[in-house]
Amino acid sequence: MGKCIENPRTSCALGGALGVASGIERVIPIFHAGPGCGLQASIGQKTGYVGGIGCPSTNMFEKEVVFGGTQRLRETIEGSLEVMDGDLYVVLTGCTAGIIGDDVDSIVNEFKTKGVPIVSIDSSGFKGDTYYGYEATLEALVNDLATEHPKEEKTVNLFGIVPHQDAFWQGNFEEIIRILNKLGLKVNTFFTEHQGIETIKKSSGAALNIILSPWLLKNLSKIYKDRFGVDTFRYSGLPIGPTATSNFIRELSQKLNLDRDFVEKVIEEEEDYVYSHFEKNIGVVSNYRFIIVGDANTVIGITKFLVNDYSQVPLLAVITDDIPKVYHEKIENEVKNLEYGRKPKVIFEIDKWKIGELVREYEDEATLLMGSSFEKEIGDELDIFTTLVSSPITGSFIINKGYAGYRGCLTFLEDLYNNN
Amino acid sequence: MAINIDIPDVGTRESRLGSITGYNGDLHDLVNKSQCGGLKNRDRCFSQSSSCNAGCALGQLSGIRDIAIINHAPSGCSAIAPDVNVANAQLSAKRGVTNSTVFIGTDMNEKDTVFGATKSLRDIVIETYKRYKPKAVFIGTSCVTGIIGEDVDSVVEELKKELPIPIAAVHCEGFRSRIWASGFDECDHAVLSTIVKPAKTKRNVINFKNFFESAREEIIDIFKNFDVEPFFLYQNSTVEELSRLSESLATVCICGTLGTYLGNGLEEKFGVPYVRTINPLGITGFETWLREIGNVINKGTEVEDYIAREREIYIPQIDAIKKELKGLRAVLGMGPGYTFEVSRVLQELGVEVVWAAAWHYDKKYDNGKVPPALDYLLENSPNNFKLSIADQQNFEILNILNKYKPDIYFSRHPGTTVWAIKQGIPALFVADEYMIFGYKGTLSFARTLLDTLKNRSFEKNLAARSKLPYTDWWYKQENGKFLREEHK
Repeated sequence: MGKCIENPRTSCALGGALGVASGIERVIPIFHAGPGCGLQASIGQKTGYVGGIGCPSTNMFEKEVVFGGTQRLRETIEGSLEVMDGDLYVVLTGCTAGIIGDDVDSIVNEFKTKGVPIVSIDSSGFKGDTYYGYEATLEALVNDLATEHPKEEKTVNLFGIVPHQDAFWQGNFEEIIRILNKLGLKVNTFFTEHQGIETIKKSSGAALNIILSPWLLKNLSKIYKDRFGVDTFRYSGLPIGPTATSNFIRELSQKLNLDRDFVEKVIEEEEDYVYSHFEKNIGVVSNYRFIIVGDANTVIGITKFLVNDYSQVPLLAVITDDIPKVYHEKIENEVKNLEYGRKPKVIFEIDKWKIGELVREYEDEATLLMGSSFEKEIGDELDIFTTLVSSPITGSFIINKGYAGYRGCLTFLEDLYNNN
Repeated sequence: MAINIDIPDVGTRESRLGSITGYNGDLHDLVNKSQCGGLKNRDRCFSQSSSCNAGCALGQLSGIRDIAIINHAPSGCSAIAPDVNVANAQLSAKRGVTNSTVFIGTDMNEKDTVFGATKSLRDIVIETYKRYKPKAVFIGTSCVTGIIGEDVDSVVEELKKELPIPIAAVHCEGFRSRIWASGFDECDHAVLSTIVKPAKTKRNVINFKNFFESAREEIIDIFKNFDVEPFFLYQNSTVEELSRLSESLATVCICGTLGTYLGNGLEEKFGVPYVRTINPLGITGFETWLREIGNVINKGTEVEDYIAREREIYIPQIDAIKKELKGLRAVLGMGPGYTFEVSRVLQELGVEVVWAAAWHYDKKYDNGKVPPALDYLLENSPNNFKLSIADQQNFEILNILNKYKPDIYFSRHPGTTVWAIKQGIPALFVADEYMIFGYKGTLSFARTLLDTLKNRSFEKNLAARSKLPYTDWWYKQENGKFLREEHK
């Protein structure tokens, strides 16, 4: 991968791990890391029950670097149990602990044997990015907490929407949950509706895992299959707009053997809802030849919506996640798997400057650029209309709007027109 | 301790200034121990996440226009980069200038922790120079480079021969110092040692060290009365302008914590007087500060005229609000450059300070003296208020708020005001460093304080629905419970 990271779009493994741990109700993250790691890792993350600088931390200084930090970790855990009110304590290690080789597991096991609900995650920042931390933490939590549980035919686990890394994660979750609820399904996300560790424990009883991502969570999927016999339905990209969302529903319904007539009725209602709004708002959004830059889920989702539902023309799609090469072809095919229009060129690139140079090649042709706040600079320079769809989005305040599903595509169109 | 700009890194505040992050006591005890030298740090056996010097060091430098920051660290350590972009774009637009500064990380991975990454660091610096032609390059170090023993100084020495711009290493390994403000000094050290040149001439300019120059126009107007111009740094300053810091008549700073190294360094090495008074917040602070500036630049009469004119406008208005504030009780949690100054301002306004927490404490500044704000409070504070030093330890703050139930909590860090609000205590986020500047700022601050207290709807309703992550046990303990005994 490119070693020159101009303005990283993701945090480190620790940031991803914190996003997961602090996203689950009444989980107390404990940093075994440098003094600044909590603050840095929480940049761009919102604090719920606890998060960022409110988390216990060993704040490893010179003394711990030289003499080791296990005693410091032990006393920090002891203090956390007294001071912090939680259902689960999750030790997150940073670079310092990782390099000096502190034996974190044996300290954590001391507490485990006393019956303390505690887990540790090897999340040294240098191990990887936010996605690495997200995967590692989910795997560890499920491995550690989930136990055999009676099957619930109408319950699904929903994964792939990465907290904080997906700028619209709350809203995207809310819309997909709304649709799944309408199909009569109960949804475990671990991150919404005050779900806590009880949900993780029982997630082994779900009828199916839904993973909204072309590449994430291969190991987690295997853990569910091997230990609990739960299958995974992987849908590549975020379903945005009527065509994709209805496809998603139909494929899912087959996996779950849902009543076909009922499902078609739901689809009809939802499509009618969207198209009744489309109808009233014709001619507002122009026709564009577009470039899109962002994470795989967003690029796939928005490209499909704009092409398959809204007659727009794709030119270039740049995927900015650091995705293992083995998945590149699959993702490229997914972006190009469009019902109409010409196929976009698909590039995997992280470096902001190189992305700018790629956009420059389309200067004469492109009329719309969608990306992160970083792409706003090249968009403004080349005078291409630019709108923000991927992280980081530094200029706007986002509570719970999202682009996923039926309703999300309307929000997306509003934002596109309003140039948010 | 003399300032030495000929070595690549500056000592930490612990070693230079005897700074601490752990203390629990009161005003008189703290100042007495500082003066007699008996003040010792108390470690915590339980702590919450703090902050590191890299944020302060690289954050300050990144405000300089058209330079490159290369953060030699894993990706998470460069998380502030997008915010730097936003701040630079907005603050330069406000000034009507442009800022093309780039913040780049070397994205160290597991392999680099084993084999080192000085080669990729070199390549990235050269590639960055090719792409952006920055006017200077500052290379930040990190916990990882420090632990694996990456020889960044040698890379800098080599690159200096190859690239025609100033290049400096900024030694800001996170584990180096408990005092994140050490990062301010590391930034200043890099500027003093690689950018500032000896003066060829003197100019009617006063160096004004601050954060975001929001009172720029106001201060330009004030200083016109004394025939001098302020030069604000580091946000929006250029490398060329910084090279001429030595030509100024004096250096002032909005915050003693922020300014000590640069101010004393410029005085010691380049003969530019550093104005060390209490800060220009509140009435006494503003007047004391202005008079000392007048003294240093020989404009005493003009300063007195200005003070007399402005007093007539503002003092009656401030006095009117003071009546409404009388008897209110406050708790503060801020960096030490503000805690003690804002405590003084609150007392001027008739508000009782019941507890002041400072995120760290410098026993002395780089001139070897106790910070002026503490001397002032020792003589003038109506009460010997309780005081703690805690590197933003929220659990201690919430315990204090729960016990003392003040009318209002003040902080300069948003991460702590939100928790006070969730606990039902109205909180005022003193975000802008100029929020209480001068007569005008003091008046506006008094009004904001009153507004915060008069409408408590949000705090009341939110607190009724929020559960905080602390145990009942903790709220029954003394807030300093986890402080160890003093190191001998």
